Amino acid sequence: MSSRIEVHNLSVRYPRALRSALQDVSFTVTRGEMLLLLGPSGSGKSTLGLCLSGLIPASIPARVEGRILMDGRDASVMSVAQRSSEIGMVFQDPEAQFCMLTVQDEVAFGLENLAVPRSEMDARIAQALGMVGLSDRPGERVDRLSRGQKQRLALASALARRPSVLFLDEPTANLDPNARYEFFQLLGALRRDEPDLTIIIVEHILDDLIDTVDRVLLLRPGGLLHAVGKPGEVFDRQGEELDRMGIWLPQVTALGRRVRLAGLPLSRLPITVEQATSEFDSLLIHRSLPAHGHSSDTGTSSTEKASAAISVRNLSFGYRPDREVLHDVSLEVPSGSFFALMGPNGSGKTSLASHFAEILTPTPAHVYVLGDDITTLTTAEITERVGYVFQNPEHQFVEQRVDDELLYSLRLRGRPEEEMEAIGDELLDSFGLTPYRTRNPFSLSQGEKRRLSVATMLSVGQRILVLDEPTFGQDRHTAHALMTHLQALHRDGVTVFIITHDMQLVADYAQSVAVLVSGRVRYVGPVPALFDDRTLLDEASLRELSFHRLARSLQVSYADGSAPMSIREWLPFFGLAQEEQTRP
Amino acid sequence: MNGLFSYYEGDSFLHRRNPTLKLLSLSVIVLAVTMAFDPWTPLVFFILTLLAHRVLGRVPLRSLARPLTVFFTLGALGFVSSNALFYAPPAGRAVTVLWENGPLRVTAEGLQVGVSLTIRMMAIVMCSMAFVTTTDPTDFILSLIQHARFPFRLGYGVMVAYRFLPLWRSELEIIRAAHRVRGIGERTTLKGRWEQLRRYAVPLLASAIRKSERVATAMDSKAFGALPKRTYYRRLDIDWIDWAMLGGTILATALILFVLARTGLLSGYGIVPQE
Repeated sequence: MSSRIEVHNLSVRYPRALRSALQDVSFTVTRGEMLLLLGPSGSGKSTLGLCLSGLIPASIPARVEGRILMDGRDASVMSVAQRSSEIGMVFQDPEAQFCMLTVQDEVAFGLENLAVPRSEMDARIAQALGMVGLSDRPGERVDRLSRGQKQRLALASALARRPSVLFLDEPTANLDPNARYEFFQLLGALRRDEPDLTIIIVEHILDDLIDTVDRVLLLRPGGLLHAVGKPGEVFDRQGEELDRMGIWLPQVTALGRRVRLAGLPLSRLPITVEQATSEFDSLLIHRSLPAHGHSSDTGTSSTEKASAAISVRNLSFGYRPDREVLHDVSLEVPSGSFFALMGPNGSGKTSLASHFAEILTPTPAHVYVLGDDITTLTTAEITERVGYVFQNPEHQFVEQRVDDELLYSLRLRGRPEEEMEAIGDELLDSFGLTPYRTRNPFSLSQGEKRRLSVATMLSVGQRILVLDEPTFGQDRHTAHALMTHLQALHRDGVTVFIITHDMQLVADYAQSVAVLVSGRVRYVGPVPALFDDRTLLDEASLRELSFHRLARSLQVSYADGSAPMSIREWLPFFGLAQEEQTRP
Repeated sequence: MNGLFSYYEGDSFLHRRNPTLKLLSLSVIVLAVTMAFDPWTPLVFFILTLLAHRVLGRVPLRSLARPLTVFFTLGALGFVSSNALFYAPPAGRAVTVLWENGPLRVTAEGLQVGVSLTIRMMAIVMCSMAFVTTTDPTDFILSLIQHARFPFRLGYGVMVAYRFLPLWRSELEIIRAAHRVRGIGERTTLKGRWEQLRRYAVPLLASAIRKSERVATAMDSKAFGALPKRTYYRRLDIDWIDWAMLGGTILATALILFVLARTGLLSGYGIVPQE
């Protein structure tokens, strides 16, 4: 097979940066291959893509050493137009990669820039839209598409230019589980239809992707190449390193590693549910265990009804009178519970939660906070009871130093200086923000910003914390760190209410879950019952976990018919002891 | 979008016209109105443009109601009252005093100037509305690039900015809500408003800069501006009807001005003697 891309000793350093973004990286990609780039944030994955496409150094200044060959030609002597017609790029942010107003104009834009004759455009646009399943809406406005459709449009825009290489930089990071699955299915179909197309992809959540990947390239912090190889081999040999870097393995792979660490003879580390089925089959001790100790059974039953942190009764709401977003919603969030709200994009989740913190004001007798009708409480009383963390932490920042930011609400209330200092120090410490106390909140990393925004919402002793998609667009490491924090708060008795699409997160942490579809509550109850109901999952644009498919094919279940949903729950079926922590 | 000026999707004579020539035609009317000092000329053009817009543009009146009311109110409050009160007549000209109280006095001449200024502004607003409501913004920029030698790099920049406007508006709404949740009421004092502006501006700018960098990278990745020439998917044509519209507008405008001059209603233009 011919080498499509050869990278020789590539090093990149951005202006004024202390460290290199990439250091002495060499690898080759063959024609028609699909290569997955893995690495923690800051390991140079995006930089690599920008170098291959020529955007570094043509558009983004950086010092580049080393050589890139494309089909044997030195890429540095190719023109920007040649480079960009060779490599199609799809970026992470569905809101910020288009510059035209309609679907067909957007696809045409990339052709116009390459001076493709007008007479060829219609056919190429139609073909590209056909490949991604958007044929039926060429004239649709881009801003009316869902996020998943937007990413498919980005893919179509790249494909219309007939590139020989596609570089996809976390294309599904902002998509809900179903849209992510559909995007990966599309890539699978693309590989079958276009066997010569080379695909390089950066991704974090690998379960539905990994069986279409040929090789994995693992980068270390500082932009060093750590390993290249077949997915199974890399996961097998680099397991500890992957754990240390906080890289998320496919669920069945992570389970396999855990089982092997416990000393069971596992010949091959599985990467797909099918492989896991055959590998695990002989190792299982139990196929059925009595009703499990899932967290939903503990804590809630005794306190339920007795006191609700938030209670919603027959709430209907619309931004315009003729278009209702919420229809007759009733919901009880028990005090001290860890509660998750799920549902497709646009189903009204944020609108519902907005009523808990007076962002939207209900009419009397519909929303109760700790037993009191929210309309009878003053703004100060509401903010003392409920902390609301917005999806983008930057939106909430009002001060120019981290410590001032934390104390803002206390200053507003004129609390004594010593008291404020004590609370401030405690929050800085428990959220690991002490080293940054004098920094500007906007200069923090994504994970730090998120922690700060949560900490500010606890400063006046809020007992209820509402979080809107707290792990959206974050890597697994920061997401996990945040969830550990929330779990600790929950143990201290704080009611945690999260809006999320992340199934594994709900499986690992939440006690109860509600599902909102088109502004109506479709489900309220324990997590396992929802995750076993495939019709409901479909309706809610959710994807069942790999563990569920694994449980079904191995015919493993609890006595009540539900499936084990986390590594911790799976271990007893192998005859292994459960430990407290799910993940290191 | 609920802005004062926004495109009304539809299909009509005006919608189908070439944007550049439509802009030129309306400019002819605006020019004619700007140079007239009497209230009658702008009134006639206002009514005729309104009628033409209604018949040829098929845009419902209610999408005009808000902007027209806003500007009418502004004009009535600003121009009429200030001119009625503070009109300084040309030297040696007597004024008719309608009402007087201490230093304040209302003159008939001042009132007339105020009214004609207001009508003039309304006529210009009406022309802008006729253009904006019937012209797809993308078509407008493309037509400027293709027919008026507008630089395409700048044109596409404007197009992207336009695409982001509603996004920023909704983002500002979220920021306001987020700050309210932190316990900050909206400020009413001047200093408070200034502070508030800073608080809103920082996150908004941070996100705007980030988004625009991303879009710029995405555009560069599609070789935008890499070749000196580019082709166009949407070619906007200029046909004889467009030219006829421009010619017709010039002729009609001249005719109306001529009639108004003959009836003695027109003043201004330097060449037409005042009374």
